[in-house]
Amino acid sequence: MTGDREDILRGTLDLLVLNTLDKLGPQHGYGIARRIEQVSGNLLQLNQGTLYPALLRLEQKGWIRSTWGTSGNNRRARFYTLTRAGKKQLAVESERWERMADLITRLLQSAEG
Amino acid sequence: MTWMRILGSRVAAMFTRNRLEHRLDEEVRFHIELLTEENIERGMGPDDARYAALRTFGGVDRTKEAYREQRGLHLIETIFQDLRYGVRQLRLSPGFAAVAVVTLALGIGANIAIFTVVYDVLLKPLPFSHPEQLVGVFEANEQAGVAENGSSYQEFEEWRRVNLSFSEMAGDQEHELTLTGRGEPVSVRVADVTPEIFPLLDARPLLGRTLLPEDGKRGAAPVALLSEGLWRSRFAADPAVIGIAIDLDKRAFTVVGVMPDAFQYPLMMKTRQLWIPLLQDPLFGPWTTLPGGHWLRVVARLKPGIPLVQAQAEMDAINRRLAGKYRAGDPGWAIRIGPLKSEVVGKAGTTLLTMLGAVVLVLLIACANVANLLLARATSRAREFAVRVALGAGRFRIVRQLLTESVLLGLVGAAVGVFLAYGGAKALGRMLPPGLPRVHDLRIDGWMLGFALLLSMGASLLFGLAPALFAADSRRQSTIQESGRSGEGLGRLRIRRGLVAVEIALALVLLVGAGLFIRSFAALITVDPGFDARRILKAEVSLPRFQYSKQEQWVAFSTEVLERVQAQPGMQQSAIAVPLPLADGFVNLGFSIEKGSPLPAGRIRTADYVAVSPGYFQVLGIPLVRGRYFERQDTLSTPRVVVISEALARLYFPDRDPIGSRLVFGFPPDGNLAREIVGIVRDVRDAALSRPPGPMMYVPFAQAPFWGGCLIVKTAAGTDTVARAIRQIVHEVDRDLPVDNIEWMSAAVEATVATTRFRTWLIGVFGAMALALATAGVFGVISYSVSCRTHEFGIRIALGATRREILRLVMREGLCLTLAGAVAGIAAALALTRLISSLLYGVRATDPATFVALPLLLTGTALLAAYLPARRATRVDPIVSLRHE
Repeated sequence: MTGDREDILRGTLDLLVLNTLDKLGPQHGYGIARRIEQVSGNLLQLNQGTLYPALLRLEQKGWIRSTWGTSGNNRRARFYTLTRAGKKQLAVESERWERMADLITRLLQSAEG
Repeated sequence: MTWMRILGSRVAAMFTRNRLEHRLDEEVRFHIELLTEENIERGMGPDDARYAALRTFGGVDRTKEAYREQRGLHLIETIFQDLRYGVRQLRLSPGFAAVAVVTLALGIGANIAIFTVVYDVLLKPLPFSHPEQLVGVFEANEQAGVAENGSSYQEFEEWRRVNLSFSEMAGDQEHELTLTGRGEPVSVRVADVTPEIFPLLDARPLLGRTLLPEDGKRGAAPVALLSEGLWRSRFAADPAVIGIAIDLDKRAFTVVGVMPDAFQYPLMMKTRQLWIPLLQDPLFGPWTTLPGGHWLRVVARLKPGIPLVQAQAEMDAINRRLAGKYRAGDPGWAIRIGPLKSEVVGKAGTTLLTMLGAVVLVLLIACANVANLLLARATSRAREFAVRVALGAGRFRIVRQLLTESVLLGLVGAAVGVFLAYGGAKALGRMLPPGLPRVHDLRIDGWMLGFALLLSMGASLLFGLAPALFAADSRRQSTIQESGRSGEGLGRLRIRRGLVAVEIALALVLLVGAGLFIRSFAALITVDPGFDARRILKAEVSLPRFQYSKQEQWVAFSTEVLERVQAQPGMQQSAIAVPLPLADGFVNLGFSIEKGSPLPAGRIRTADYVAVSPGYFQVLGIPLVRGRYFERQDTLSTPRVVVISEALARLYFPDRDPIGSRLVFGFPPDGNLAREIVGIVRDVRDAALSRPPGPMMYVPFAQAPFWGGCLIVKTAAGTDTVARAIRQIVHEVDRDLPVDNIEWMSAAVEATVATTRFRTWLIGVFGAMALALATAGVFGVISYSVSCRTHEFGIRIALGATRREILRLVMREGLCLTLAGAVAGIAAALALTRLISSLLYGVRATDPATFVALPLLLTGTALLAAYLPARRATRVDPIVSLRHE
C-alpha cells in the first residue's frame, strides 16, 4: 500500500467510526465493525482487525474515550464513546466530505456537458 | 495540539506497554468469539466457525503489529531492539568483533591523539584575554633578507609614545641568571619585561602584585616576580615569600609577587622562573642606553575595533617619520606587525598538519578494512536478511539494523580508541621536542570525547553504509530459495575489490610520505657538520654580572678554570667557547672590511660570531686551511685578531688572500675594533644541520670575553667523573657559581634534530600501520574471491588444470588488484608530496628511488598476502566442490 491510499483509508475509517459512535452511542469494537459492514453494504472490504489500531489512534487524538464494560451476554468488553472534541471533529470531517463530493459531482457534470 | 497529545500518549504508553498489550489481547479475543458465535448461528461447525471468524478478522499478528506501531514510540523502541540485536550478533562472532574493534580503535585513537596536539598547538587561542588583539611588533628588512628583528629600546619607547592604534605596548627579552641564597646556586630563566606587559595581558598574580610602572623606571629598586613553579620548588610555597630578598647574579632583588603557572609569557621560553623589570637586567639594562642595538621583542594589543591593516599602516607612517632619526644610513628597514599566534606557531604548522593528514589516511584505510569485514559477514547473514524481508521488514528497517550495528562497532572502537589516545597523547607529549610550544597540558577532556564521538559516527557511516545497502538489496531475496550458491557474491566481490584497491592507494601515499621522511632524516643525520663532537662533554658556566663586571675578571676566571681543567689527567683537550656550534644556537653580527669596497645601500655584511679559547679548533677537530690558530699571546693587550671560515673568505675575498686584511666588528662597547685576519678554518654548520655553512668569524676569548661560556672537554672518562671534576674546579675558583647543562656534545647535536626524528618516527609508524591494514585487506578479499570461485576451480582442476595454473590465476587477480591500487596511489602521492617538500632535506618530493621502492614493497607484501589463499585454491578437491552444487 502506498502512503496516500493508506491515509485516505485511514481518514475514511475515522469518519465511519466517529459516525457510528455518534449514531449508536457507546459500542465495543465488534459492534462498530458490524455496523460499518452493514452501512457500507459490504462495499468496504475491511479486515476487521484494522479497526483496533484505528480506535487507538482516535483515542490518542482525544476524539473517543474507552472504558471496560459488560456486553450483551455478560462478558467483559471495552466500550468506546464519542467525546465532545470527537463530536466536533465529526462535524468538521462530514462537512469536508460533503464539500468534496459536491465538487467532484460538479466537475464530472461539467466534463460531460 | 493533536500531535502533542499523541506524543504524550505514546510516551505514557511506553511505560504501560504490558497493560495495553493485555487489553488488546482481550478485545481481540472478545471480537473473535463474537464472530465465531455469529458463524455458528449461521450453521457452521465450531471449528469452521472459528476459522471463518479468524479470516474475517484478518491477520491477528498483523493487527497486533499495527497496534503496537500506533501505540508506542516506535522509533525509539525499535532502535533499542536493533541495539540489543546488534550486541547479540557481535557476541556471536567475537573474532570479527575483536578485529573490527581493534582496527577502528587504532584508526580513531591515532586521530584523536594527533588532533589533540594539533588543537592545542595550532588552534587553541592563546591563554590571554582577547587573544586576537595581540600582535608582535618587529623590524624587517626585505632587501637584506631579514624577516624578523628586534627593535631598539629607544625606538620601542618612541613607538609607545606616538602610536594611536594600540592600547598598550610592552617589550621583553629573556636571560639566564644565577640565583643564590635559599639553596644551591642555580641558573634560572628570567624574563626581562617592561611593566606594561601585565596590564597588556590582563595578568593577575597568584600572590602579591605584578610590576608597576614605577618599577620600570631607571634607578628604581630592583623587584622580581617568582613563578609558581619556582615558588613551590625552592621556597616551599611559603606564603611569606613576599618582601624577601633574593640574589640574581649577586644583586639583591625584592620579591613582590608570585605569578601562577597558567601565566605563560613570554611564550617562546621553555620555562619561566622569574620576571624582572628590563632595566634591572645586568646585561640588557645597560644596553637600553646604547643606540643601535636591536634586541627587544615587542608585543602590543590592538585597540578594540582597530584592524591589523590599519595598525600596520600607522606603523608604516611612523617608520617613515622616524627613519632618519634611528636608522640613518641604513635604509630598507620597515616595522612589521603580525598576530602573536602565528609567531608562536611558526613552522610547527606544516609538521602538525602533515601528521594530521597521515593519520586521517590511516583512519580511511581502517574504515575500508572494516567495511570489507562487514561485507564478508553480510554474505553469511544473507539468509537471515532474506527471511526478515519475507516477514515484512522494509528495506529501510534492515539498513537501519545494519547501521545500528555499525554505530555500535564504531562506538566501541572509539571507546577503546580514546584509551589508546590518552596513553598515546601522554607518550607523544613526553616525546614531543621542545620546539613545539604549549604542549605540556595534553589531556582528555569533553572536547576530545565529543570529537571521538563525531569521528566514530562518521567512520560508522563510512564503513557501514555500503554493506548495509548491499545486504538489504531485495534482489538478494532469491537466496532464501537457493542454498548458498557462491555465484551470487560477484557484485559483492567487485565492491570489496574496489575497497581494497582504494586501501592500497591510500597506504601507498602514506608509505611514500614515510619513505621520503626517512630518507630526508637519514640525509640530515649523516651530513658532516664540520666538527667532531665525539667524546666531548660540555658544561655551561655563567658569571654574575654584578660581581664580575670587568672584562679582565672574565678573562682571569676563564684562564684559571681552563688551566685547572687541563691539569687534570685525561682532560687536557679542553677549551672554552661561546656559542657552541649547533648545541648553543648562533650569534649573527654585522661587520665591515677595513679599506674594503663599499656595499650597495641596504646590504649589510654579517657573519656568525664565536669567541673561543686557543685549542678550541683542535678539540673540535676543525682543520686549519691557511694561516694560524689562536695562541696564548692573543690577549687583551695585543693586537686584535680574527680567524674566519672558508665561506667568509669565498664570499668576501674571492680574488685575494684575506690574511692580513682587517674586519671591523664587535659587541658594544668594542663595536668598532679592527681585527686582523690571521687564519682561515674549514666551514662548520653552526646554525642547523640542514643549513649550509655560512660565513663565520672567530675571536680569541681572551680578547673578547663573555661573562660566561661553555667549557668543552674531550675525554675518554665517564660522565660522572668528568662532571664532578668540572664542578669541583669551578667551585674552587668561585664557590657560588652554578655549572649547568652538563651533557655530551653529540647528544646536544642530536637534540637539534629531535623534531625531525620524532615526526619521521611517527609517520613511519603510520606507514607501517597502513601497510599492515592494506595487506590484511588484500588477504581478506583474495580469500573471499577464492571461496566464491571454488566451484570454478573445481571444474578447472577436473578438466586438467595444474596446481601451478590455479595458483597463477589467483595471484594474477591479486596482482591486478594491487597494481590498480598502486597506480592510483602513485598518482595521488605525486600530487600530494609537494605539500611536504618544505620539510624534506636532501631529497626531492618526487624522489624516484622512493617512488619505485615503496610500490615494490607494497606489491611484494600484497602478493605475499595473496599467496596463502592462492595455495588454498590449489587444494580444492574437485569432487567436493562440484558436489556442493
